[in-house]
Amino acid sequence: MSPELEKCPRNLLVCEKSNFLNEKSRHDIHVSKHSFNYKTSVLIPECGILPANISSAFSSFSPYYLVRDLPVYELLEETFLESLVKKGHFYALSYNTKIDEDNSIALLSSGQFILSLNKDTYEQLGLEGRPSQYNHRKALRFVVTLDLTDKSLAPGTKRYQRVLSSLKDRLPLKYDFLFTKYNTGSDEDEVLHALLSRYTYKEHKPVFSQHILKNIQCPTLYPSDIQGKTLSCDPHRFLEWLGAVNLDINCENAADSFLSTYVCPEPQSSISQAVVCSVTGFISPENVFVLLQELRKYFDEPKFTPWLSLTVHGFMDSPVSWGTSEHGFLKGGENFYNFVCFKNQDYWLHMATGAQDACPP
Amino acid sequence: MEDSSKFERYVYKNASVYHYMKISLVLEKENRNISDAQFKQLIISGVKDLYGEIGASFPFDLLKFDPKELTGILRVYNSGLVKLWSALTLLGSYQNEACAFRVTQVSPFLLALSGNSRELQFGDRAQVALRR
Repeated sequence: MSPELEKCPRNLLVCEKSNFLNEKSRHDIHVSKHSFNYKTSVLIPECGILPANISSAFSSFSPYYLVRDLPVYELLEETFLESLVKKGHFYALSYNTKIDEDNSIALLSSGQFILSLNKDTYEQLGLEGRPSQYNHRKALRFVVTLDLTDKSLAPGTKRYQRVLSSLKDRLPLKYDFLFTKYNTGSDEDEVLHALLSRYTYKEHKPVFSQHILKNIQCPTLYPSDIQGKTLSCDPHRFLEWLGAVNLDINCENAADSFLSTYVCPEPQSSISQAVVCSVTGFISPENVFVLLQELRKYFDEPKFTPWLSLTVHGFMDSPVSWGTSEHGFLKGGENFYNFVCFKNQDYWLHMATGAQDACPP
Repeated sequence: MEDSSKFERYVYKNASVYHYMKISLVLEKENRNISDAQFKQLIISGVKDLYGEIGASFPFDLLKFDPKELTGILRVYNSGLVKLWSALTLLGSYQNEACAFRVTQVSPFLLALSGNSRELQFGDRAQVALRR
């Protein structure tokens, strides 16, 4: 059998261990750089009722908007640019555009405007970009990155006019977009609603769901052993178990069972209950950070469990994963991260990506 | 004594031993009762048809099966991914009835299967939702 058949696409898992109270801890940077989040889920072992502060953190997640057939140039219109884009805390991502097939557009809170385009669109649009890092032999995908906060792209400059006219006249691109914002002022909200009211749009609230697991086996984790050599279980096995718990997969199978031999990884312990809750939608990093801060407070009072976990899934079809690192979809577009928070404010951060992704920061 | 404040960072490349697949079975006649064992046996027979007894001698797990939607989650060793996926693609009949497997998602991380943003659909103008 050819050895080629046994090859798999590359995947990366970065595991970092630090302490939230450490000045140099980069947990805030990692969260803020991961701009587009689809699902956030929390697992708390030995817990039957979600604490009030965490529950309210979930309910305070910002709503998001789905705008239909929005011309892309609208994101560069002067008022919109000056108020929402430059002030930050505003995110936009084209909806239902597959990063491996279609054109995909993203606007980050830092003012970076990213267009991931197929060859025809790129050539017709005429904006300066570079070939995708993940092209195979022929350059079939190009990425145009514009820094809308840069002086050379200020409204009135030649470059700005050129970009605007490309998107408005030369090749008017229109897509459905997801918008979200965090703690913007009333002026910014007015500008946003002025834009939204000219198109078909709907406001959505992230969807919350929760379930309680009873009498399950749970991996043992010690903060000092992130690699899973002695005291804790292996990081890949741990993330697999988290997936099993989220997907309601049976973790107690016999080794000779026909259907499945999956079991909870060792070392493990029995717990009487655990709460798993999640929120899906278009979630800003700021919301995730607030949730993380509330989760850290869980250990302010003594608890049975020594750890809890927060998983954040990125969008499969986003043109970027962390920061402006290009993201692609080969056989999958996974880009997620997972925090394990311990009693002593130590944390583990697992960041996972697939084949077409840079190494997480 | 634990040195709790020490920073550590490890990068694992291709360290995931398994791949996970979320699949669904589409049958010509929609109302068939298929058990989890029959579902797994169907896939095994598909792999055997394509690769023979020796080629099909790699294990895979049916981690989860939904008999109503006919969807499942499989776990396979990396070395068996291509064979399993190709067998699923080419499997065309179940008990003399036309059928097709749809591979909804593949990932080296099971956790990624619980957060597929391509499932984000909205009521009006939604495409035919990919079945879980």
